[in-house]
Amino acid sequence: MDPIGKYHLQSITRRHFLWETAAGIGGAAFGSLLGGCSHQRNPIQMALDPMAARAPHFPAKAKSVIYLHMAGAPSQLELFDYKPVLEKLHGQPCPPSFLEGKKFAFIRGVPKMLGPQATFRQRGQSGAWISDHLPHLASIADEISFVKCVATDQFNHGPAQLYVHTGVPRLGRPSIGSWVTYGLGTENSDLPGFVVLTSGGKTPDAGKSVWGSGFLPSVYQGVQCRTQGEPVLYLNDPEGVSREMKKHVVDAISEVNYKHFEESGDPETLTRIHQYELAYRMQISVPEVMNINDEPAAMHELYGTQPGKSSYANNCLLARKLVEKGVRFVQLFDWGWDSHGTDEGNAIDIGFRNKCREIDRATTALILDLKQRGLLDETLVVWGGEFGRTPMQENREGKTMPFLGRDHHVENFTVWMAGGGIKKGVTYGETDEIGYYPVSGKVSVHDLQATILNQLGFDHEKLTYEFQGRPFRLTDVAGKVIKEIVT
Amino acid sequence: MNLRFSLLASLFLALAACTEKQAKVDFNTQIKPIINKRCITCHGGVKRNADFSLLFREDALDTAESEKLPIIPGDPDNSELIRRLQLTDPEERMPYKEQPLAKEEIDLLRKWIKEGAPWGRHWAYRPVVNPELPEQPSFLSGFWPTSSQEGNEIDLFVNAKLKELDWEANDPAEPAVRLRRAYMDIIGLPPTREEATAFLNDPTRENYEKIVDQLLASPRFGEKWASWWLDMARYADTKGYERDVYRNLWRYRDYVIRAFNSDMPFDQFTIEQLAGDLLPHPTEDQFIATGFHRNTMNNDEGGTEDEEFRVAAVIDRVNTTMEVWQSTTFGCVQCHSHPYDPFRHEEYYKVMAFFNNSRDEDTEGEHPNLRFYEEKDQQKVNELLNWMSQQRGASSHDKVEKFVRLTEPKYHPHVFDQFVNGELIDTKWLGIRSGGSARIRGIDLTGKSFMLFHYRTSDTGGTLQVRKDDLKGEVIVNMQLDSTRRRKTIAIPIKSVQGSHDLYFVFSNPRIHPDKVVADVEWIAFQEDVFNDPAQFQRYLELLNAKVDNTPVMVENDSSQKRPTFVFERGNWLVHGKEEKPAVPAYLNPIPAGAPLNRLGFAQWLMSQDNPLTARTVVNRVWEQIFGSGLVETLEDFGTQGATPSHPALLDWLSSQLMNEYKWSLKRLIKQMVMSETYGRDSHATPEQREKDPVNKWLARGPSFRLTGEQLRDQALAVSGLLSDKMYGKSVMPFQPEGVWQTVYSDEKWTLSSGEDRHRRSVYTFQKRTSPYPSMITFDGSSREVCQVRRIRTNTPLQSLLTLNDPVYLEAAGALAEKMIASSASVDDQIRDGYRRLMFMDIREDKLKALRKLYDSSLAAFVKDQPGRKGVELQAMQLVASALFNLDEVIVKQ
Repeated sequence: MDPIGKYHLQSITRRHFLWETAAGIGGAAFGSLLGGCSHQRNPIQMALDPMAARAPHFPAKAKSVIYLHMAGAPSQLELFDYKPVLEKLHGQPCPPSFLEGKKFAFIRGVPKMLGPQATFRQRGQSGAWISDHLPHLASIADEISFVKCVATDQFNHGPAQLYVHTGVPRLGRPSIGSWVTYGLGTENSDLPGFVVLTSGGKTPDAGKSVWGSGFLPSVYQGVQCRTQGEPVLYLNDPEGVSREMKKHVVDAISEVNYKHFEESGDPETLTRIHQYELAYRMQISVPEVMNINDEPAAMHELYGTQPGKSSYANNCLLARKLVEKGVRFVQLFDWGWDSHGTDEGNAIDIGFRNKCREIDRATTALILDLKQRGLLDETLVVWGGEFGRTPMQENREGKTMPFLGRDHHVENFTVWMAGGGIKKGVTYGETDEIGYYPVSGKVSVHDLQATILNQLGFDHEKLTYEFQGRPFRLTDVAGKVIKEIVT
Repeated sequence: MNLRFSLLASLFLALAACTEKQAKVDFNTQIKPIINKRCITCHGGVKRNADFSLLFREDALDTAESEKLPIIPGDPDNSELIRRLQLTDPEERMPYKEQPLAKEEIDLLRKWIKEGAPWGRHWAYRPVVNPELPEQPSFLSGFWPTSSQEGNEIDLFVNAKLKELDWEANDPAEPAVRLRRAYMDIIGLPPTREEATAFLNDPTRENYEKIVDQLLASPRFGEKWASWWLDMARYADTKGYERDVYRNLWRYRDYVIRAFNSDMPFDQFTIEQLAGDLLPHPTEDQFIATGFHRNTMNNDEGGTEDEEFRVAAVIDRVNTTMEVWQSTTFGCVQCHSHPYDPFRHEEYYKVMAFFNNSRDEDTEGEHPNLRFYEEKDQQKVNELLNWMSQQRGASSHDKVEKFVRLTEPKYHPHVFDQFVNGELIDTKWLGIRSGGSARIRGIDLTGKSFMLFHYRTSDTGGTLQVRKDDLKGEVIVNMQLDSTRRRKTIAIPIKSVQGSHDLYFVFSNPRIHPDKVVADVEWIAFQEDVFNDPAQFQRYLELLNAKVDNTPVMVENDSSQKRPTFVFERGNWLVHGKEEKPAVPAYLNPIPAGAPLNRLGFAQWLMSQDNPLTARTVVNRVWEQIFGSGLVETLEDFGTQGATPSHPALLDWLSSQLMNEYKWSLKRLIKQMVMSETYGRDSHATPEQREKDPVNKWLARGPSFRLTGEQLRDQALAVSGLLSDKMYGKSVMPFQPEGVWQTVYSDEKWTLSSGEDRHRRSVYTFQKRTSPYPSMITFDGSSREVCQVRRIRTNTPLQSLLTLNDPVYLEAAGALAEKMIASSASVDDQIRDGYRRLMFMDIREDKLKALRKLYDSSLAAFVKDQPGRKGVELQAMQLVASALFNLDEVIVKQ
């Protein structure tokens, strides 16, 4: 009998033994997982199999999340928040009342108002406003709920991205994907529970901390799967080593480790045997799921994917494949949305339009594809940036800029969600006539996080972790579920 | 669960003891657990519902909102607390809307109030006393201390507890296991074959001790223990936040390695790191040591407010200091009084006041920096300073020395306001266009004769005027600004003026485009002419413009730049409450008599013999490094929510030894631990042992746990003969896969180091905060963003992939395979040789068989794949070596 198979058989005794006793040193550390949700989470089980699927606090609407983050912060005023009055005010100096006591990242002195640089229409039955920049998305407006007045208090990219993804604008806290995998585990033990895909050539401004596990055990950090090179670091076997040879290697390691376990009695040794087996399986399962070459032509047509390239479209298709395989949280970052107008690439009427073209078809395809596979109901799709853009034209250092651009805006920005128990065709929240301040339905970043956790079956106040002597949670000390958009 | 369980258990034991002996109720073990569990969430430091709090005795005895006395010492019947616990109406009965307290618990509270409701001191806040050594257990009598065969005082404490539990301790581990354990723990590297053979031929205690002494004296010792300290110091080679660009702080890392190697007493180590700059005539090393708190992150992102991130850095310094030296979760007190422990909200700001007056202000240049001159310039510095002390006296000498070494004190552009036609460029540099101006407030010009002006412009024809008191005021400076190639410091004469004034800086240059700034200014300083000698003054200016290397250090504000410290209401830095002066938490020991009220005084307070937390904290952390788990399991929290010590008397004995006998020598502390019999025990456990004590809390077994990322990588490099023993210097970039770094707004790249720098010890690897080195972070290393006192040891498939496929490990496996093949003609012996190089003992035959099978099948496969090719044996053996690096016994210190 091959050694790996033998250990599977033995795992029954092993589990019995371990459950009856307790885990090794890791178990002690996991003891603090008990935090605020002791009714569910057995620290020993967590230590032995930290990714085992677990039930949330109450029945969930969504089983998994695909979070599409447009890093750099796309302009809501060119996409979803239509402001005809702003059009009329185009080119006029900004009234002083909007500037008093305000701080901007780059605007200085008195900037001019900048009318929408897009044509808007109402779409579908719901009549949601979507500009011509997103013609494909416009065709599925009725699948989506728009949250128009998400407010943040961070007007710099790094802190604002951390705020959206970790609940605090500083480094060191776990990201939302880490919280979710900590809470739920994963349904496919051959794949990581939390996968990160990036496009646009850069990682987000706040770096890997936006998918870090903070003080949670590192097993919950996002695993960046790359679309070029090795999909996961060190996944590929060295040159000249076949799968079969690798199997011999892992078998030999496991066999020696098992003999060692017989002497030492350390349950961590058994866990290690298990992890080597999993690593070996991941070497097959990850490249398999990350390979889009064999997708039918119709799929490539739908998404606009080009195998072998690193692109947002490829990442959307991968996201669908990953949730289909049971991955819990897929985080996409697309870089290049910071439309200041300092050059053509970030001009609101040029570079920004091109970015919209890059994502429109694939984003729409993702929703349609999930729907046709019956996955949309159990997959929550979230789209947004880290803040909004100003209704004024940026005038960096008080000067006229070479291209049209907008500065960072914290008062309101648009985030949309679809699937996973989100109502269809709702527009929640309204901004004033120039899109400067919320008029109704203002929500915070923490509200957004509370809502995402709610769809997954969590009371965001109870998903906690004990650290430095107190329980921490994603939503810090705030957060209310946005009831208006959930079914 | 462990904690709760142990609380309940101790409560139960205490109850039992109480009924048996009729002893007095003990607040700490009997009452505080009930309060923490059932009451304090609503009546503590965060919430004080009904104006009633159980955190401090004086609060608990004081009238609550109901105007009733909650606790009347000696009179439980009239104490409102007892009445409310016993009601039946759920609206009135406490705990509100929760299960009522058990009758036993209420009885206990009654008895305690009857006895006067004394408030006990939590164990960690009691002074360290030197406990009596436990008696020699009878089964060991005559064995120790008269004989020097095995063990020391540590074993008396551990064995006394085992005897109490009626448990047997494991036998000593095999000599080879003990040897590897000591090497891994003391220097983080395995022994060489020669070293191992020498010991194993004669594994006496004397020889073991000799090896321990050699290891403690080895330069590798500091490299190993630095990794431990640098996690707490949050040392990194980048600044953090969005741009996360390079920071030149490696000299601090080298300072830590040197300090450990020279066994610098921990009190000196502490004082130099927290306040080296405040010592009399600080040496270069004492300045570099203050890099400890310059490891806070620095935000360079355009548009960020320097003051916001300066405050964030100061808060991080307070939290880190209290965590590293006091095992206290002081961060809680930033927003409200501590929920469980005796620290009040305002005390956070009293402590912060010690740290709030350093010169650093989150500037892009990371000022203040210690300047390192090239040799010829250093010569000039020495000459200038000699001249100053001979010709101008100590006070003038000191001013010049401070500025030449640190360019302090000075002003940064963010203190300017009232910008006209100009601004802070990228919120960093002062940039004013022609005809524009900006104001700086309250500059004392008495005695000042020139302004140092550090700027850059590519244009000629610019002028600067400085006007006094208002935009149209008297011109006290009128200066041409020449074009510069790079940033440059010039001295501009100032008209003689008395007193403090607001100054208006007016720039003009009619020749440039109106959109362009006249100059960009990084800093200014106002100085008196202490030279009175043009040649020396000229030399001074030359030195200020000399090419230097910089490292960030701490420098204290002088009186002209002192900042007041305010309470931040609910932790919000923009909402100021009352002003606070520096003071240590009232519940702990007072600040030593004569200690200054600054960082130096605070450091002296931490290291005072009366501080109950410092020595215990150090002992506990070092214990955890060696035994895998602290005597107090919660390394980060000695408060009432933390774990209680498993061996309180041992903790105190070691703490007392550390202060009084070892004089804060960490090497002596480590030696005491590794010379104990407890440390040398076999780590194997029977299922019964594991069931009774899964985490080895009672130390019947030897320590066994997974090695760190650093130890694993260093071990592979060492055993394969690749490891470089080069010490110190700039951080290196060993192999890292493509595409791991994708930084925004920066062209910094991971550039593979050359030569031996690829194989340096892991402690020298470049640490980028937002993109940590994979083989460290995968094994739970810290990203170094914030202080981390404990690495939780996970066990993941990504770790398996790393040690199987990381080219560093593959290269090491190749080099090891060559050694194995060279060792013998027999394949079995070759495999035996490889195992022995890692484990220093013979491989068991059944394990050998498994590896031999791997060799044979690999060889057959390689032969099949590459018919006729030479060197297939090496390829096959490389797979065996790779398997060796992945064996549990190699990954784990057993």
